[in-house]
Amino acid sequence: MSAFDSVKSGYIKELLAKGIREDGRGLFSYRDIKIIPNVIENAEGSAQADLGGTRVLAGTKVILGEPMHDLPNQGSFSVSAELLPLAHAEYETGPPSPAAIELARVVDRGIRAGNCIDLESLFLEEGKVWSIYVDLYILNYAGNLFDASALAAMAAIMTTRVPKYEDGKEVREDRSRKLKINNVVTTSTFGKIGNTILLDLDENEDNASDARITVATDDDTIRASQKGLRGSFSLKEIDMMLDKTFEKRKELKSKLEHMK
Amino acid sequence: MGGSAANKPKLIIDGKRVDGRSFGQMRQIKITASVLKNADGSAFIEWGNNKILAAVYGPKEATPKHLSDPMKAIIKCRYMMAPFSSLADHGRTGPNRRATEISKVIKEVFENCVVLTEYPGSQIEVYIEILQGDGGTRAAGLTAAAVAMASAGIQMKDIPYAVSVGRIDEHLAIDFNMIEDNYSDSDMPIAISPRNNDIVLLQMDGGLTKEQFMRSIKMAIDAGKTITDLQKRALREVYAKDEINGE
Amino acid sequence: MMREIVLPGDLLEEKPVRMENAFVENNKTYAKVLGMYDKEHSSLIALEGVYQPRIDDVVVGIISEVKNKVYEVDLAFFGRCLLIAGKYDRETYKQGDVVEAVIKNIEDRKTIILTDARPLSGGTILQVKPTKIPRIIGKGSTMIRQISDLAKCHVVVGKNGTVWMRGGNVALATEAILTIEREAHLSGLTEKIKRMLEEQKGN
Repeated sequence: MSAFDSVKSGYIKELLAKGIREDGRGLFSYRDIKIIPNVIENAEGSAQADLGGTRVLAGTKVILGEPMHDLPNQGSFSVSAELLPLAHAEYETGPPSPAAIELARVVDRGIRAGNCIDLESLFLEEGKVWSIYVDLYILNYAGNLFDASALAAMAAIMTTRVPKYEDGKEVREDRSRKLKINNVVTTSTFGKIGNTILLDLDENEDNASDARITVATDDDTIRASQKGLRGSFSLKEIDMMLDKTFEKRKELKSKLEHMK
Repeated sequence: MGGSAANKPKLIIDGKRVDGRSFGQMRQIKITASVLKNADGSAFIEWGNNKILAAVYGPKEATPKHLSDPMKAIIKCRYMMAPFSSLADHGRTGPNRRATEISKVIKEVFENCVVLTEYPGSQIEVYIEILQGDGGTRAAGLTAAAVAMASAGIQMKDIPYAVSVGRIDEHLAIDFNMIEDNYSDSDMPIAISPRNNDIVLLQMDGGLTKEQFMRSIKMAIDAGKTITDLQKRALREVYAKDEINGE
Repeated sequence: MMREIVLPGDLLEEKPVRMENAFVENNKTYAKVLGMYDKEHSSLIALEGVYQPRIDDVVVGIISEVKNKVYEVDLAFFGRCLLIAGKYDRETYKQGDVVEAVIKNIEDRKTIILTDARPLSGGTILQVKPTKIPRIIGKGSTMIRQISDLAKCHVVVGKNGTVWMRGGNVALATEAILTIEREAHLSGLTEKIKRMLEEQKGN
């Protein structure tokens, strides 16, 4: 954290003690959410998600592969994330940072546990399946990468087309088949600054926060969750945030409608 | 030039190229400057089916310190293909030998045109992310990065541009797309500083006669007028509402 | 007074003319930044870019390191910046303190020496493009005084682009300053900001 960030954090805390956020939002309000589907034609699926100033591009590639040993009758998918150095002055070139790996794995778990992708529909023949690679490209960081990335990944998956497979060969040009989707998962990420809990933290709030929790759900079930940073949450706080997550679910899901 | 000769498709039909262009015709190019909030300068270029994001950070304090030059700025450049950028494969993230070489030659272009001595001890970072690639990504990426550099307010003697010229049989053609690139007989990406038409980047492989080599450079310079114009228009558009009189 | 936007490499004059942000080659003068060119006054003002320090500039910085009586100050500048406690700088600062100070000297174009520091306690800071600072201050400080008065906010503007604010309506002052930053190249700004401040203040 730079000297600038630490001064800013002090001010954020001072305001929050009075129940005010720097940008005037309510404690449990999202910033503007905008999702643009199908931005990369070469990818089998793609979407750009803007959450306030945070911008994430997700692309999917559907590639011929082998099934996992323990799951011979279904395809596979994996999520990776890159905090691109062009997204923030403090992001550096190099192998994926622990933060990028955590981000990718949290997004992955929600989608996997929610059984969002029908993996059995990706089985081709013995020893051959489609593997789906979801890559998250962070283009601009302005806080709350988790929810922005989860939205971008889900939207990209929903737009994904599967190439044709004929006589043991792939026909990549033919992408008429849509990827079969079983479920839509969304996430809400909260932070704790001092004793205040808030949703969708911007960059300055992220820097000032002591604890973070992401909750991934579908309409009625919690599918994955991850607590981060050194601070803690009380049982009561968790209870409240789970309620808020389901409350916010409708708003997030509506942004994913019409993705195809 | 990666494709094997055996399954080489017909690249010229009735004097036209695979996508219907003439030999001297470039693809459609669209440049937008200042597209990223955090970067000091940025640009998005759509060049044919290429989609490339370029950003510049700095000048900022050079790190690690022992790499800094007390007399001038150093330039760091990263050119990278997104894993979902190509039609067929899923690319692995991280730099490979090709990306490392491209990053180096682009860096050297900016070492030429940026007034490095204005920023002693600092570093300037150039990032070129190929979100979708369809041939000629280094030329398009460099063209976008030059716009990003200017939009960052960094002192430069010129705004360079780049384009590639290649050969298909006996024909020279400008701005190869991916298919042409894969099966051409020669390919030559060139970057030029338009103020005096100095060549600041040149790579070539395949086979060309001296006459073809020189003619290729001239074709690039001719095409450059259009590219330079698009770069400048993108930069001016950021301040479009003005034409200003002070208060 | 006609001014135009010029870009690096643009030919400004067919003859050599010495001016900031331009260079001469083969007896011709070219621009080396994206800027506003005023031909009549032979002046080229950069529209973007890092802080270019000058002696006597008033800057706002954050103490980033304390070593004996030497303070490293973060000015959002690529070089180093030092404040050496002397008889005029008796305050004792700690890491994270915000200070207003004056540039006393610049060594090798990359090491800034500060003097006449005073602490700015509490409040918050905002980083804007240093090239827009003259506009934020305004002719004879008119613009900044207007913001300060109408938002009832204590504002200190550093030439390095760091702005410190405390008290009153900080959010409104911030909005006004960011509007100026965004629209610095447009005319009629003083009036626009005044209207904005008065309207918002009523809410």
